[in-house]
Amino acid sequence: MHKHFPVNCFIPPHILKNIATKGTESQKNLAISTLKVSARMSGQRQALADFAAAAFRVDGAGKDRVIYDARNGSSLPGTVVRKEGDASVSDVAVNEAYDGSGITYDLFNDVYQRNSIDGNGMRLDSTVHYRQGYDNAFWDGEQMVYGDGDEDLPVDERLFNRFTAALDVIAHELTHGVTQFEAKLTYSQQPGALNESMSDVFGSLVKQYKLQQTATEADWIIGQGLLTENVNGVGIRSMKAPGTAYDDPVLGKDPQPAHMKDYVNTIGDNGGVHINSGIPNHAFYVTAVELGGYAWEKAGQIWYVTLKDKLTANSKFQDCANMTYRAAGELFGAGSIEQQAVQKGWTEVGLTVDGGSTTPPPDGGGCLEALFRLIGVTPAKR
Amino acid sequence: MQVERIKFERTGGFAGMRIARDLKLDDLSDEHASRISELLDDLDFEELPEQMINEDSMPDQFTYTITVETKKGEHTVITGDASAPEKMQELLQLLDRLARSRKKQ
Repeated sequence: MHKHFPVNCFIPPHILKNIATKGTESQKNLAISTLKVSARMSGQRQALADFAAAAFRVDGAGKDRVIYDARNGSSLPGTVVRKEGDASVSDVAVNEAYDGSGITYDLFNDVYQRNSIDGNGMRLDSTVHYRQGYDNAFWDGEQMVYGDGDEDLPVDERLFNRFTAALDVIAHELTHGVTQFEAKLTYSQQPGALNESMSDVFGSLVKQYKLQQTATEADWIIGQGLLTENVNGVGIRSMKAPGTAYDDPVLGKDPQPAHMKDYVNTIGDNGGVHINSGIPNHAFYVTAVELGGYAWEKAGQIWYVTLKDKLTANSKFQDCANMTYRAAGELFGAGSIEQQAVQKGWTEVGLTVDGGSTTPPPDGGGCLEALFRLIGVTPAKR
Repeated sequence: MQVERIKFERTGGFAGMRIARDLKLDDLSDEHASRISELLDDLDFEELPEQMINEDSMPDQFTYTITVETKKGEHTVITGDASAPEKMQELLQLLDRLARSRKKQ
């Protein structure tokens, strides 16, 4: 199949981007749709995200949410049903998506000084009522998408409620957006499981922040409220005790490991990204409980800095262990109780942190200086 | 296309739960069997590429593996929620529903 998009043939992308950010409303819309089609066709997911960010950004703006209704179809984003500042509506899923993305924005903004998904005020778009019988939620590179569960089955067969019913699911999806702009963790094998774990960590933290719960008060369940009463389970995952969230004749048993010795090698689920995330999830839980108090304050700060500044696309569990340890040292001091708590977290899941030097090397530790050191040259003092 | 059997598998998703189901067309209701055959014909299923999924997988999307068996042989297509073309959405939704339901269709 080959389609022609004439506008794209004549106007180079950098000019389209300018129009997308600076043009009139109708010019913007045309430029954005052209850029999106072009990015989709070439499979440039990151380019698509950058365009979306450019298009949805209002520099200096704060929280800006738009909720769409797919009306049980599969076209995204659907029809606008609630915008920032609008009063609540009669549709509970719409209000949950609105409130949930709002509190998620608040945690990132108020605690980590991050203005939205891209750090620059990107609009938060969510679509509810995606397809029929869609027992899932996802981040499509530009927006959050939620299904209504398995409402298409007879009541006694239903396993899932609507996916906006759990605040941590909403925060989980939005965090995938943050990861896309920061560490860009590849969605496969260990980097993919770290990507998933980051979403669970901040998903749970948003819920704890809303409920103002300490680490010991929190349930650390991901997706509490998603399963119907037909299922023997408390949620989808447990960060406190991975592998114990559900055990059911139809759904089977929660397959998450809590330790490296039980790491699951599989080709399904992009190499077990939703399975092995139990390992880094549990490391975060142990760290947070060890530190006590509100988990978003210290443990969350360490993990946020790691996601933003330390992890890269191919980072594995060991890298995350080393980098959270290093981040804790930089934030709270080498040998601090925070750094020791991080070490304990990873030890409990079977990983030994290799912190290397926790104090920054002289001359700021820049790449050039590191290279000079490597080849044995002493750079001139500035 | 004389379809005999469809093997449907769904992996990934927020919950990471795998669903797999072998659907023999003879066992389905006439309504479902004929609709599935129509949709497969409309898609020209046998001519579709095996990989219809972005390499750059989208977080929490389902991955679907559909194998259609005919007298002549079988053909498999792997796709995802947002990477599947609009024309395939009804087929995905119908197979997914049949796979999730525990009752005879």
